[in-house]
Amino acid sequence: MIPYTVERRADTGVSNVTMGIWLFLASEVMLFGGLFSAYALLRVSATAWPNGRDVLSLAFGATNTVILFVMTGLAWRARSAATAAAARRGLLFASLLAIAFLAVKSAEYSDEIGRGLLPKVNTFLAMYFTLTGLHALHVICGLVANLWAIVGLARVGDQMTLGRVRALALYWAFVDIVWMIIFVLMYLT
Amino acid sequence: MRIVSTDHKVIGLQYLFTSLVFLLVGFLFILLIRYQLAYPGAPLPLIGRWLPEALAPGGVMQPDFYTQLVAMHGTTMVFLGVVPLAVGAFGNYLLPLMVGAPDMAFPRLNALSYWLYLAGGIVMFSGFFLPGGAAGSGWTSYPPLADIAPAGQTAWLFGMFFLILSSLVGSINTIVTILQLRAPGLTMMRLPIFVWTQLVTAFLLLLAFPPLQGAAVLQLMDRLAGTSFFLPSGLVVSGDPIAATGGGSPILWQHLFWFLAHPEVYVLILPAFGIVSEVIANATRKPLAGYRAMVGGMLFMGFMSFLVWAHHMFLTGMGPTMSGFFQVTTMIISVPSVIFVTTLLLSLYGGSIRFTVPALFALAFLPMFGIGGLTGLPLGLAAADIPLHDTYYVVGHFHYVVAPGTLFALFAGVYYWFPKVTGRRMNDLLGKVHFWGSLIGMNGIFLPMFIQGLAGVNRRLYDGGRTYTSGLGIAHTYSGQWWAAVLLGAAQLFFMVNLFWSLRRGARTDANPWRATTLEWTTTSPPPAHNFATPPSAHRGPYDYSTPGMAEDFTPQSQAPAASQS
Repeated sequence: MIPYTVERRADTGVSNVTMGIWLFLASEVMLFGGLFSAYALLRVSATAWPNGRDVLSLAFGATNTVILFVMTGLAWRARSAATAAAARRGLLFASLLAIAFLAVKSAEYSDEIGRGLLPKVNTFLAMYFTLTGLHALHVICGLVANLWAIVGLARVGDQMTLGRVRALALYWAFVDIVWMIIFVLMYLT
Repeated sequence: MRIVSTDHKVIGLQYLFTSLVFLLVGFLFILLIRYQLAYPGAPLPLIGRWLPEALAPGGVMQPDFYTQLVAMHGTTMVFLGVVPLAVGAFGNYLLPLMVGAPDMAFPRLNALSYWLYLAGGIVMFSGFFLPGGAAGSGWTSYPPLADIAPAGQTAWLFGMFFLILSSLVGSINTIVTILQLRAPGLTMMRLPIFVWTQLVTAFLLLLAFPPLQGAAVLQLMDRLAGTSFFLPSGLVVSGDPIAATGGGSPILWQHLFWFLAHPEVYVLILPAFGIVSEVIANATRKPLAGYRAMVGGMLFMGFMSFLVWAHHMFLTGMGPTMSGFFQVTTMIISVPSVIFVTTLLLSLYGGSIRFTVPALFALAFLPMFGIGGLTGLPLGLAAADIPLHDTYYVVGHFHYVVAPGTLFALFAGVYYWFPKVTGRRMNDLLGKVHFWGSLIGMNGIFLPMFIQGLAGVNRRLYDGGRTYTSGLGIAHTYSGQWWAAVLLGAAQLFFMVNLFWSLRRGARTDANPWRATTLEWTTTSPPPAHNFATPPSAHRGPYDYSTPGMAEDFTPQSQAPAASQS
């Protein structure tokens, strides 16, 4: 009934879902852009700022970087899958890796809290917990969206599901890019 | 009618009535504030004895309560009243009709955006029931004050979180609806100005709000997790050094806040421009002068609005290089506003104007917005802004833009599209009483603010500055403002009676009582489910009024050109 839910509109060249996800990602760029600006401003004006390598565990961070990278690859492959069933399978494996990411992240948090590294200790840790926490929230929301697309296949049909998978793949790529930036800013420098 | 509906018309009306209730509450706060300023130390009449002992012992308002009312008045009017009315109500109800679509692009997200908005409002107001009362750090919530304020500030931040999510979802929906669901033949340069303003507004909401979302998260961390993003080192509160580590920057919040809040000014004014354009084109029965100039101007305005935010921060001592940049961009952004007002004024020239109630509100918008805009120019220059910034002059300036400016445009819209929504007209006489009462009341409140500000009265004092020499000379002007506020309130009673009476008893009209051209008038009033019996298509621009050679003085956008002219 509402036009262009799955098919492309000739003059814009996209479907509603595709345009919607790009607009959403534009707003997400502004959200993390604002926070990264805050990071830069606080870091340059700080009297002391530790090197992330000396405080955080590089092993946890690197493991999660690899997990997210592989997961995004899976989501991206699902994007060009031939059938909705195949796309759904790809999304399912990607979701398992997203859960693995969250598991590693929880282990890392509890290790840090056990070592007395809390947000209130200094601005470096405050920034670390805020950025990674907000990022983890994005992973959780993405997982819910994945499940919604996986379960929804029976109800909305192949074309709609493929559109959703394409949108989700873009979202996961964005979440991965944000993680890469956080990894460099917090763990490596 | 289901409470949770995905029909854009139902959601539009939900937005309408919710935002009108919030506007009323925000106005009731003003009655308390104006009485306090007029008669400080006197017990509040009528409601004084019902107020809790902590806020107003014996009915006498305490400074803490005053700051809560001021903060919640600003927040309520901007985030819960005007924007949801302009964007949520008018946008939702009218956009699909004006572009010839069956609904918004994402109906379920549309419902989500309304319910997030309502939740945000309730969470924010729950602050009044927390120990220490509601948020009292101003609608700008500047740290370090906001970081160390009582729990009401946390409710404010969580409420804001919901409101920003709501506006994010809503703005995506708006943009996709306009770009994707336009009827065949409705090219971008055939869109009504109202649709253009909603498009630019949605982009501003989409891109400007997220940094405030980030800033709200940081402030929540400061308040709940003990971090120091916005707390400087060595802060002493009531003689005691604070426990936090410090090292943060209060100015950082101001940057993140105003990066949103300056585009927000254009979010407040652009839909108003859109409504006024529709009403004026209709009332003058001629095409708008300079359609292309308006579209170009508003695109430029939207872009520039991201480059002027620090003109709110000249007092932070940013230095001449920074303030030089922001002074130049601020002067530049006044140009598109002038283009808008000028084209609307030129549109009046030579028209035979119908002085209907919506037209009265739309016409009054022009000089009122003019006063608001022109008094803003000195504030864009640091040399003039520094002495004026903390005075009532600033309050007068932005209230002229938003109250007799934007609110008048929104009232014009309510009167203009009421027949579309209900198939009935609102009463003319009640409408005129509402108009004249509001016009006199608003000017009676806001005009003295310029005098008070130029006298040097600080705008944040709960006794109106009577403890200072500068305040003594103008102390008598407050009672006039109180009576103007009473008049303004009385005028709104006529609006409320008119609204509810006309819903049931208003004179019935046909589908197009204003003889208007745009697509929403080609369907029945009220529109059926999914809006159009047959999907419309557009064959001409939006303002084909008084075209020579036509039998009627208006040609609907959906009317196909005659098959052959020969």
